[in-house]
Amino acid sequence: MASEDFIPVVGDDWYQRRRQDAEGEFLRKVAGQGPRGGQGGTLQGIYTLTPDGTLLAYKNAGQAPDVMREVLRNALDAWNRLPESRRRSAAIASEDLGTVDAQYDRTPPEGGLIVKVFTRALERDESGDDPNVYSCAPGRGGEAARDHLWLTEEDWKALIPEDPTPGQMISIPDRVVRRIVRFHLVDNTRGEPPFWGDEEVREATMTLTVEDVSPDRVRLRLVGNALLATSADVSQADRGYDASLLGVVEIDRPSRSITRFDVVALGDHWGEGPYTRGARPGRSPLGVAFMLVDGSNPADRIAPQASRFLPGYLEP
Amino acid sequence: MTFGIDSRDIALAGAALALLLGPSLRASEPIDPGRFETLHRTIQPRPDEERWLQIPWETSLWEARRKASAEGKPILLWEMDGNPLGCT
Repeated sequence: MASEDFIPVVGDDWYQRRRQDAEGEFLRKVAGQGPRGGQGGTLQGIYTLTPDGTLLAYKNAGQAPDVMREVLRNALDAWNRLPESRRRSAAIASEDLGTVDAQYDRTPPEGGLIVKVFTRALERDESGDDPNVYSCAPGRGGEAARDHLWLTEEDWKALIPEDPTPGQMISIPDRVVRRIVRFHLVDNTRGEPPFWGDEEVREATMTLTVEDVSPDRVRLRLVGNALLATSADVSQADRGYDASLLGVVEIDRPSRSITRFDVVALGDHWGEGPYTRGARPGRSPLGVAFMLVDGSNPADRIAPQASRFLPGYLEP
Repeated sequence: MTFGIDSRDIALAGAALALLLGPSLRASEPIDPGRFETLHRTIQPRPDEERWLQIPWETSLWEARRKASAEGKPILLWEMDGNPLGCT
């Protein structure tokens, strides 16, 4: 129903409710007709609306499929009662957005790379035979959470050696290391996570070593670790992540471009944030996987959750 | 008189060096390279976790509005703090 009868769209309300442009005004106009009102606080929810900005139906959240289906059916009934002139408008279809409020609009950095980041609460092998075997923990934050790491053109070009030889070490810019550990080694499996403050990074190292060189390709190995904790006395920290990292980065030599950025972080996480209540007790394994995407899917172009203050994200 | 270094000296030197460097705060073990691919795959979503991505979500409300008006369809807007396609 969502795919065929509607034009489905997502929005990050933190940006959308603040933006001072035609899109923001349109959203506030629609929300103003519902229980959220159009001013002030959050406008979160599921809305059905007409292209001219009339609210058809609103639901706070969509966890109950039957209820949501009924809301959508009612919205379609209301829609179908509208005259054709309200349902199709050449004027709206060609209406220009005008000046975009750049403060609350995010697009991937020009020439940069998008790295998909998945996070999952893991469980160790139940038999206990092999402590290095992990599986998912469905229903306990075991579903994969997602985010995106943005690397600027300057960031990724710094990872490409001029004259690669096996064993050669490549220095990863400190800003990239800090960006990864502070904003992407987080537990976002139950909602918006707290990010790590600079002072909460107790240890963070990453080395990139040339492993294999051929005329067409260079393969680099990334090895690292991070200790992130809310207290300098880690044993007393109410939230922390003690992780090792391992990864493979591949470079296409003729085009001098990065074609693979597969990295895993694995370690014990503990604690929770204001919007990530319900953490598993004690320390439990949390895995983070990074992989390069080309950005052709709109979903891959969503801004990193931590980029609401973009300069602080890019230069942490 | 002869001087030699025995295993006790090495152990003492090692202990002294450890004290100078300070105790390691970390407990996590390095990731076994032989398990890297499996681990990388395990953390990624399974196909059944991505069924909701089969819906062709737009990411711009303005573009959705234009498209809806052109195609004669209503808009379904999923608005959350943290983009539904990117945060959780």
